[in-house]
Amino acid sequence: MNQRENFFAMIEGKKPEFIPNSMEVYKSCIAGTCITDSPLMGGVDSFGVNWVATKEGAMPEPNKFLFDEIADWKEHVHFADLDSLGIEAAAAKEMEDFNQNNRNELVVNVFSACGLFERMAAFMGFENALCSLVEDPDSCREFFEALADYRIACHNRFIDAYQPDVLTYFDDLATANGLFMSPKVYREVIKPSHQRIVEAVTSRGVIFSQHTCGKCEEIVGDYVEMGARIWHSAQSMNDLEGIQEKYNDRLIIEGGWDSSGPASYIGASTEDLIEEAKRCANVYGQKGNFILMPTLLNENGNSLFVGDPRLEPMLKAFNEINKL
Amino acid sequence: MSKINEVKELVETGKSKKVGAAVQEAIDVGNKPADILQAMVDSMSVVGDKFSSGEIFVPEMLIAAKAMSKGVDVLRPLMAGDNSASLGTCVIGTVAGDLHDIGKNLVSMMIESAGFTMVDLGVDVPAENFVKAAKENDNVTLIACSGLLTTTMPALKEAVETIKASGLSGCKVIVGGAPVTPEFAAEIGADGYAADAGSAAVKAKELVK
Repeated sequence: MNQRENFFAMIEGKKPEFIPNSMEVYKSCIAGTCITDSPLMGGVDSFGVNWVATKEGAMPEPNKFLFDEIADWKEHVHFADLDSLGIEAAAAKEMEDFNQNNRNELVVNVFSACGLFERMAAFMGFENALCSLVEDPDSCREFFEALADYRIACHNRFIDAYQPDVLTYFDDLATANGLFMSPKVYREVIKPSHQRIVEAVTSRGVIFSQHTCGKCEEIVGDYVEMGARIWHSAQSMNDLEGIQEKYNDRLIIEGGWDSSGPASYIGASTEDLIEEAKRCANVYGQKGNFILMPTLLNENGNSLFVGDPRLEPMLKAFNEINKL
Repeated sequence: MSKINEVKELVETGKSKKVGAAVQEAIDVGNKPADILQAMVDSMSVVGDKFSSGEIFVPEMLIAAKAMSKGVDVLRPLMAGDNSASLGTCVIGTVAGDLHDIGKNLVSMMIESAGFTMVDLGVDVPAENFVKAAKENDNVTLIACSGLLTTTMPALKEAVETIKASGLSGCKVIVGGAPVTPEFAAEIGADGYAADAGSAAVKAKELVK
């Protein structure tokens, strides 16, 4: 099996031949979301939020908010005319060297950054956003509904432009210790709009991958129930083995890497990385519903963007022990 | 319910719009401002414990801290010059190379609620700026350094080493952040470590008493 065939064997609940890794299984596409959601290299986005480039990616400029009260969102939030953003041209450029043969080999994965909660926090800061969820849930729900309409329109554009197999939707809802908000608040305030976003993607025949960092295991079941087939960046502070056992062929765990552990420290050796990759393969990889995602930061930034000489030997070693 | 208990309950449940009036009523019926302040500090201690145990989440902790702040606004003019309840000044910041402020802000709110005066240096703070702020401000008893990324763990180490080498006396250093462990905190010479905002407030009080 090639990468694509192996991936779809996992999706169809069949036995894959090997444990894939996210660096080799996907053609990841980011140009669309850099226009509609968050500029990767920093700058002002289509909503007027300024993003600053950091070593691990762009983030909203700290302490610069468009508004403080969610009840005021309509005065400050203006959705861009998607016809004017150049999404299709950017997608065409990103895919210009990706031909049909490549499509037969790899899985096309379109990223959609800055989901419902992250966008709210980008507008008004995390503290204000989190307080709003419990102090003014009605305004939050109204805001999320409008934002979901925008995201669905963006996703439809991405799907038309890229013809992807997977859409990975990013929304960080947790710290390393647990969810930012209670599961009840998530379910009552965010989930209804989140659900519409998931269903709009899956109704187009595209696999929905949910990205949430941190310890979010309490709502992974909600993701599965809504139709997500992949949970991305599934980090090791969650009970990954229990989740794999529980959801079996309904959910692929993409992650596993201990991003706070020694293999992610500055100065970790290639051998340390190989050991961590082997640990992931042994602990999570044997059930046929796991994709390794090495989250590696180095002195220059996120290795996904800046590269890292340790990755190649690590992947080589991983690919020698990843057969199932 | 006594007025002071009403204040406590309003802080614990984050009713920031009602706390100011309740504090004023507690004063009007003869409660001492210092006792009302202590009641609110006690409430926040309960909130911190509930957060650390997973009983409540960040929003509930935030609105409680916001409610306490509203109550303190009413007390402040009455307590000018009265530092009897103060635990001193805490200088806080996210270390150099790291722009993450959520954890640092939460810790800042909880440490303030425990009775410290906060000097928040923001994010991406060079090691020497912690020392400078500690020297420039009165009665600094605690310096709190935060870092979210594994890549900024060396900056945490540098911050602690710089503070310790500066000759500052009478001030303790506490560190925290996602990749930080108690072992790492001890290894770099920090006086204390906390895993979350609730336990940071507890540890902060412990360190300066």
